Amino acid sequence: MQIKSRNKAGNVPPALSADEAATLAFEHDKSLSHHAFVEGEHPDVRIEHLNKTFGDNVVLRDVSLNVWPGEIVVVLGPSGSGKSTMLRCINLLETPTAGHILIKDKEITGSRKTDVNKLRRDLGMVFQGFNLFPHLTAKKNVMIGQTKVLGKSKEEAEAEAMRQLAAVGMADRADFTPAQLSGGQQQRVAIARAVAMHPQILLFDEPTSALDPELVRDVLGVMRDLAINGGMTMIVVTHEMGFARDVADRVVFMEKGVVVEQGTPEQVFDNPKSERTAAFLGNIK
Amino acid sequence: MVALDDAIQACTGCSTGLYDAVVADLPVLLHLSSSYPDLALNKQIPTGERYGLVLSKSNPELTAGVSRAIRDMKDDGTISSLEVQWFGELLSTAGTSTEAGATFKVSSCTARPNEDGTSNVIGGEPTRLTFEAYAGAEEQVTSVTLNMPDGGSFDGSSVGVTVLDGLKRQSVDSNVDVKGASMTVSFAQPIAGGSLVRLEVEGAKLPAGGGDVRLTGSYVTAGGTSGQISDVPAITTVALSPVQAIVKWLDGQAWVSAWNSNQFLGMFFKPQLLVTSLVSLFQGWVLCLILVIIAYPFAVLLGLAFAFLKMSKVRILRAIAVVYINVIRGTPLFLQIYIAFFGLPMMGINISNNILGIVVMALNSSAYLAEIFRAGIQSIPRGQNEAASSLGMNAFQTMVYVILPQTIRRVIPTVTSDFITAYKDTSLLSSVGVMELMMFSKNLTATAGNMTPYMAAAVYYLIVTLPLIKGVTLIERRLERAQSGSGPRPKVESSAQDDKGEGMNTAAAIAGDTILGSTKVSEERRERKPWVMDALSAPFRPSLPLGGAADAD
Repeated sequence: MQIKSRNKAGNVPPALSADEAATLAFEHDKSLSHHAFVEGEHPDVRIEHLNKTFGDNVVLRDVSLNVWPGEIVVVLGPSGSGKSTMLRCINLLETPTAGHILIKDKEITGSRKTDVNKLRRDLGMVFQGFNLFPHLTAKKNVMIGQTKVLGKSKEEAEAEAMRQLAAVGMADRADFTPAQLSGGQQQRVAIARAVAMHPQILLFDEPTSALDPELVRDVLGVMRDLAINGGMTMIVVTHEMGFARDVADRVVFMEKGVVVEQGTPEQVFDNPKSERTAAFLGNIK
Repeated sequence: MVALDDAIQACTGCSTGLYDAVVADLPVLLHLSSSYPDLALNKQIPTGERYGLVLSKSNPELTAGVSRAIRDMKDDGTISSLEVQWFGELLSTAGTSTEAGATFKVSSCTARPNEDGTSNVIGGEPTRLTFEAYAGAEEQVTSVTLNMPDGGSFDGSSVGVTVLDGLKRQSVDSNVDVKGASMTVSFAQPIAGGSLVRLEVEGAKLPAGGGDVRLTGSYVTAGGTSGQISDVPAITTVALSPVQAIVKWLDGQAWVSAWNSNQFLGMFFKPQLLVTSLVSLFQGWVLCLILVIIAYPFAVLLGLAFAFLKMSKVRILRAIAVVYINVIRGTPLFLQIYIAFFGLPMMGINISNNILGIVVMALNSSAYLAEIFRAGIQSIPRGQNEAASSLGMNAFQTMVYVILPQTIRRVIPTVTSDFITAYKDTSLLSSVGVMELMMFSKNLTATAGNMTPYMAAAVYYLIVTLPLIKGVTLIERRLERAQSGSGPRPKVESSAQDDKGEGMNTAAAIAGDTILGSTKVSEERRERKPWVMDALSAPFRPSLPLGGAADAD
């Protein structure tokens, strides 16, 4: 996963020093989030001037964003706005074309492959299509990362798996295979799988988009629980306005590869600064 | 002992030390010996057989024409020059010296094998006895008597009498008197001294029980003197086997005769021959199984290796795999067998036939398996890779714990089909001297002049293939069901465990969930499936159930 040319698209300034950046970020974000800022705190995720192109198609243009420890950031935006791509760049499922991404002040863009696998242990991800392993039961889906990556014993992993499955209300389906579960059930298992790795940062890539409305509620319930009690940093790409309003510390609105607006849910929903944001929210409502 | 279709292959094998000796028709070996200077004619085994042309009786003009042509060729010396050209000497004058001595001398006494598919002579069963003797130079023989040892009988036999003076057939009137264990041939005129007397006794029964059987006899000359025929070569016989006992029993059944009187049934499903065929084909079948069962695991490993090579990021490795896979899949297995079995001995490399057969089968299957595995691996959705990566698994762990287990499930039907093909394809090895099923049935059919041995071979192939085909169908159905999510569900352990309390209580919710929730996913899967199956079907292999053109290189 080599980064071929880091600064291909335009003149991207070099990454700032950690303290400098933290100060700047704090100044920028302090009024835009419900996050309880702590003095001297550094962002968990720093995205600086991120660019991503697929061939001639520019998906992300100069996106910059900070996510603070324990902060719940919900990213909204129409389809094709690049929000999923941004999320996938954070754990390097997509290779950024230019720009910097720093996780806990450590630059991951341009890092070696071994670092990537280690990095991803700190980053959990929940996918739109669940991506459970179909040959394994729900319990084993939650166990496999713990035993193979974290090197936990089978007993430890099993206990943890059952704990996490219980937390998402799936303990009684532990021995079901994904094909025997509904979409909502599968997604809850997928969340348990990600959480069981105890990542510091959890990424949600449209977790409810593939679900029927009746099932969305259960999954959002689980996510709300995590947001309130989990203590993890969460970046959630979704179309669920209600969830964003209730749970988010900060809402980010993206369109055409650019962050159009960000702020607390109240700022963005009740008093959008950009016309485009207002139109989008109006349409959705 | 190995039966080969091709004398050239036999001689090559012999000259490189693979075989100890070659037995073939004399003219063939005479001709080939010039090409193999290190081989020499060691022994001639008289079999009493002659070459002949088989012509239809309904076309007498053709017979006359051929006879005329042969006569003309003899007269104008064409035959002589052909003999010199091909054998280096004149055969029509060589090797015909009479072995006539002073007294009546037996030159051979043989019995025709009467067990199907073997060279065994069974005592107590009708056989054709061939007795040849030279009359003494001065003797005018008027009658010859042959006696069976105890237990043997000439009852019900017919006797063909031939008298040869040199190569010329003498027309002699003879009278045959068959009485129990004794048989006398009386000649109307005394036969000339030094003549060869050949008696062919059809339907003679040698004593039952097995062992060496030695006939005795006597002769009478025109002068009234009689002499004993001594030194009749012994005939080795075997006792009636249980199989032959069954055959004999079948011979006596009315329904069997009725069955066989139907031309089709008698030609393809003759009960007696079916029994003997099944017995004598058994060892060929076992060899088939051994070949493919040993070859296939190697093919799987090799196929997996080439599948990974083909997906490698290194261009040269990919090229190697592509060339290997395409060359092997693009040429017939038959050709590959010939190249291996003729080519290696000619390079002085000698590998036993069976081992070489295993090697060729393994290499051939590996190319098909490589494509099956590659397609299988690439048919696993990218999301699986991403999910594994997002858990922090490296490429190796992802492959071993996530991708391969799913691939194996998906390719089992296709791999089983390929196994079936490989098993059937062992039949091609019969052409190069591997003593497998096809070889035995071919030999049996040749001696029996009946299709039943081939039917027996079909039975042996089907014993293996039918259950496997059935198995493939079952697995495919199960996969289908598992993918659409309607498989059997394990029991829910406790319905009270639902502590979320958001209306997700148990059975009703599950059922509702299932119908509603899986719709989208299963639609996705259904859309994806045709591509998966297309990619899995190896396009060059006709036996696969799914013809597909999706072989993306």
